[in-house]
Amino acid sequence: FSSSGYRVSSNGNAAKFQPPPKPIIVDKQKQKEEKRFLSPEFIPPRGRKDPLKFYIERKDMIRRRKVFNIPEFYVGSILAVTTADPYASNKASRFVGICIQRGGRGLGATFVLRNVIEDQGVEICYELYSPRIQAIEVLKLEKRLDDNLMYLRDALPEYSTFDVNMKPVTHLDHEEIPVNKLQVRMKPKPWSKRWERPKYNIKGIKFELPEEKMKEAQKWSQPWLEFDMLREYDTSKIEEKIWREVNEELKK
Amino acid sequence: MMPIWTKSGKKHAVTLLKVQDCHVLKYISKEESGGKTSKLLVGGKNTSPFYKTESAMEIFKAAGVPRKQKVTTFNVTEDALIKPGTPLYAAHFRPGQYVDVTAKTIGKGFQGVMKRWGFKGQPASHGQTKTHRRPGAISTNKAAKVYRGKKMPGKMGNIYRTSFGLKVWRINTKHDIIYVNGSVPGHTNCLVKVKDSRLPTYKDCNKNPPFPTFFADGDEKLPEDLYDEEIFQFTDPSVTY
Repeated sequence: FSSSGYRVSSNGNAAKFQPPPKPIIVDKQKQKEEKRFLSPEFIPPRGRKDPLKFYIERKDMIRRRKVFNIPEFYVGSILAVTTADPYASNKASRFVGICIQRGGRGLGATFVLRNVIEDQGVEICYELYSPRIQAIEVLKLEKRLDDNLMYLRDALPEYSTFDVNMKPVTHLDHEEIPVNKLQVRMKPKPWSKRWERPKYNIKGIKFELPEEKMKEAQKWSQPWLEFDMLREYDTSKIEEKIWREVNEELKK
Repeated sequence: MMPIWTKSGKKHAVTLLKVQDCHVLKYISKEESGGKTSKLLVGGKNTSPFYKTESAMEIFKAAGVPRKQKVTTFNVTEDALIKPGTPLYAAHFRPGQYVDVTAKTIGKGFQGVMKRWGFKGQPASHGQTKTHRRPGAISTNKAAKVYRGKKMPGKMGNIYRTSFGLKVWRINTKHDIIYVNGSVPGHTNCLVKVKDSRLPTYKDCNKNPPFPTFFADGDEKLPEDLYDEEIFQFTDPSVTY
């Protein structure tokens, strides 16, 4: 009769020896490196310009980013921007809205925020590197099905209204950015642009148009465009190089 | 072209000009040239010495300098003469100065009168027969001739034009880049001639210019970037009112 293999637990029942659970080591450094985000305004456009010009512009952009934090955000995230305004009462004005478009490259990069305030749709185009911007907060970080949400102008106003005093939604570092697969319902036609046409390639609208209209819109499709080799602009290698350069400079 | 912000928060568009291998090539005295002042020949970008006759290469050989793509003349006073063969740098100009920039405009080819001279043309409908972009009448009855210099269709662009009174905002001494306010004639990467402004409003603008020019091997050690006083530095915190 040996009792080495048996332990008496607090309940009094004989329980087998359970080894302590192994500690889960979460290597935060590795996880942060895996997540690579390069802001789209760093990628130089295709053209005949001297790469030295983009290098110098990037140095200026990094200098601004060291002093002022420009967070990571995508088209479809909800931001709050405070700018210095000489004519406002507090000398600062705050605007909350959904980012519908990110345009421009280099120091002139812009983003457009849209909101509906007291039944009036308002869009403001801010420059990312303008010195008048005092703070950019991301209230909700998410992506949408499209890169350009200009169709929200012709969508029902409920899809563009956001609470001005909404609380920021926390987003953990290691989680992937959620993609909001919302399909938006539109106001009756006429729209500002014919969004059903294939050139806009919109996935985020729930088209309630009759079948013939959708078929007629496909007449303007250009299926040869995706095979056009002269239009290809592979940015993967350029992005990697620039990402490494930008990260090194920011760490200094 | 790039945006630049001032300390008050205003945005200005700026053109970047790179000073690429500029050397002084030759000195022509007042009597030789027959003008009011003596001239200095300055050459621009380096190119291959082949595909050119020996006689054309004489100037470059005398100065001891590789062949340049463009050679221009500057009218200089006697006290501002520079020895042929000296390199010229972007630090020759200082922020706060005003310059004139000359270049060949973008060539548009043979163009009609509406694009070339801005004529209004004729209406698109209401009975117009085959006449929508034509010049219309070219002279009067009494004149009985067409005057010289009448605006008519022809080759447009590819001629030298100057933008006057452009402010220099910033100079990068490491890469020899001049940041000049506004736009400049010519296409991207074209050769451009930069002179001190001849406008009377900017006659007394330059307080202490490097005279006769900025010498790299001299005693003056400049920082990498020279800014105008009004520029917002990116190392400063955001602008407040």
